Amino acid sequence: MDELEFRRRIYADPETTDSDVIAAAKADESKRKFWNEQKQFDKQLKQAVKVDVPEDLKHKLIWQQSANEFASYQKRSRWYVAMAASIAFTVGIGFTMWYHQPVSIGGQALAHMQYAETERAHSLLPVDLEQVNAKLASFGGSFTDMIGDVEVVNYCHLSTVRSLHLIVDTPQGKMSVFIVPERGDVRVPAEFEDKQYHGESIKMHHANIMVVGNKGADLTEMKKAVTDKIHFSA
Amino acid sequence: MFARNRSGSSRVLSNMKAKHKRYEALVNAFHADIFRYAYWLVKDRSVAEDIVQETFLRAWRSLDSLNDEKAAKSWLITILRRENARRFERKQFDTVDIDDVSVHDETQDAEGDVQDRELHRLLGGLSDEYREPLVLQLIFGFSGDEISQQLNLNKNTVMTRLFRARNQLREALERQNEQRGQANG
Repeated sequence: MDELEFRRRIYADPETTDSDVIAAAKADESKRKFWNEQKQFDKQLKQAVKVDVPEDLKHKLIWQQSANEFASYQKRSRWYVAMAASIAFTVGIGFTMWYHQPVSIGGQALAHMQYAETERAHSLLPVDLEQVNAKLASFGGSFTDMIGDVEVVNYCHLSTVRSLHLIVDTPQGKMSVFIVPERGDVRVPAEFEDKQYHGESIKMHHANIMVVGNKGADLTEMKKAVTDKIHFSA
Repeated sequence: MFARNRSGSSRVLSNMKAKHKRYEALVNAFHADIFRYAYWLVKDRSVAEDIVQETFLRAWRSLDSLNDEKAAKSWLITILRRENARRFERKQFDTVDIDDVSVHDETQDAEGDVQDRELHRLLGGLSDEYREPLVLQLIFGFSGDEISQQLNLNKNTVMTRLFRARNQLREALERQNEQRGQANG
């Protein structure tokens, strides 16, 4: 190996383990000397490239990763929180809507009819117009005249609606008249029935009137009587 | 369903722990050399620090793609070189041609001996294409093959550049010694 090639190889890699370079160095004292000088020089170079590393760099690197991760964790947990909040909100809205869904009180009135059968028994005192109007007054209404042979007049709750229940004896059998104050969340069906009774409702300005009679009973007359005679003050 | 979720999230947690450990090991093992390498790429301590931070952040994000621990060094170097290139894309218009600016490193000035400072200056004065393979060799102990892989260069090219880099340094030193000799004599 000539001098130039030897130098090239040493310069390129002073720590070479190539056998031909080693053999050339063994055979030539001056080459060995050159190589040793180069190794020495390389030590200095290695020293020179070892610039000081900022003391806090390591901590910064570990910290920035934690910070980065925390940020993405926050993002992730925000997502979870948003999800949970959304579900809770939906459940809440759903529950509220279920709770406040318009109550259909036709069924309630029919159920009340059963109850009224027993109710009637223990108030055999006749009811006069004054008594009826006294109770109707809390709804702001009154009858100008009696609507027939009223046997019972009582407040009752149809679902959550406080109503006035009159039981009237008619030639067509017992009929019930419910006076239900107007409320936005209450739905009064125009007609309703079960096996025993059927009912119809009349929508008035301040209240709904429901007339319920036995199956087959004609409610027209009673409806007419009620609408003619009832008046609301406001 | 909840039980499965819980065990799933604890697995995620333990995976995170393992990832943390891995990352910290990576930082401990390589941050110093990576910083030095960055410094010799950009010849500015604070820019080097920025690039190193960016590099490790990217390393963290794609740590899962590092399958071979032995490859970690060259993986980091690859990320760092990409970050450095990105910096040039970003700051294309407001960079000074760094080769024209004489490199001064205050800490080296303060501590290093004259020879060290001189070498530092000369290393900084080498052109990038000579300095980079040399620094890879000096800092990371990379072989010619490894450097050629890292820089995507032909091995002969790498060996030639290494030779020229040292040759230039020697010549510069000799020239200075001569000048000093003349000045003294």
